[in-house]
Amino acid sequence: MVNPLIFIHAICAELGLFAFLWVLVEMLNPTETRIARAQMAAVFGFAFLLFAWLVGGFYYVEIYGLHVKPLIKASDAKWVHSIVMEVKEHVFLFLPILATLTAALLYKYDGELLENRDARLSIVLLAGLIFILGFSIAGMGALISSGYRFALMAGMA
Amino acid sequence: MNSKALTRAAAVTIALVAVATIGSELSGGFKQLLSSIGGHHWIGKSVLSIVAFGLLYLLFSRISDRHFTLKDTVFLIGTVVVSGLAILAFYVMHA
Repeated sequence: MVNPLIFIHAICAELGLFAFLWVLVEMLNPTETRIARAQMAAVFGFAFLLFAWLVGGFYYVEIYGLHVKPLIKASDAKWVHSIVMEVKEHVFLFLPILATLTAALLYKYDGELLENRDARLSIVLLAGLIFILGFSIAGMGALISSGYRFALMAGMA
Repeated sequence: MNSKALTRAAAVTIALVAVATIGSELSGGFKQLLSSIGGHHWIGKSVLSIVAFGLLYLLFSRISDRHFTLKDTVFLIGTVVVSGLAILAFYVMHA
């Protein structure tokens, strides 16, 4: 059975990523109302990513390392840990930093975003980067789950 | 809030995470040091990233915020791409 922490981690992270996609869409053609919605979305996105960080971190340190990692490393799919998990756990650390910056820029420039092209484009690019990077990480998570299932099946054979 | 300082702090912190990641794999002592922060090297890197981001922001806050441009963001995105690829390349080569 899938550990519920994985489910919570994945759902929170994906909600956070979609919140930043929302920010991107609002900033493509901003009005004062859209800027206010983007600010709200960025705060929610940041909060969801922060929660995903805490839950995922707890699962990684307390459960994955003890029960999942040894199985994967003992299987033919050990690259799933030694490459995919290693990259995922470290690149994930970029996301809260990028999310903080994006939310801060939205509040700093606020109504000025209607005129300030560089600040607006910066937010669009950063929100897009968070979305793409985040979903690459989500893909890695799916690959790790598949690696775990593969290791379990290989152990039963 | 100083946008230029925050963007630079983000870029340097992300590069620092990449350096700490690779460094901890190459040096057992450094990995042990990171582990001593929170009981696990990944927690150590997480704490390091938060502390570094805050301290670097304070350090860069002396820079004038008048000319925040797209170049600052492009530089940060470049840092994210290079740092991510460096981590990927390292683990592919050392798997």
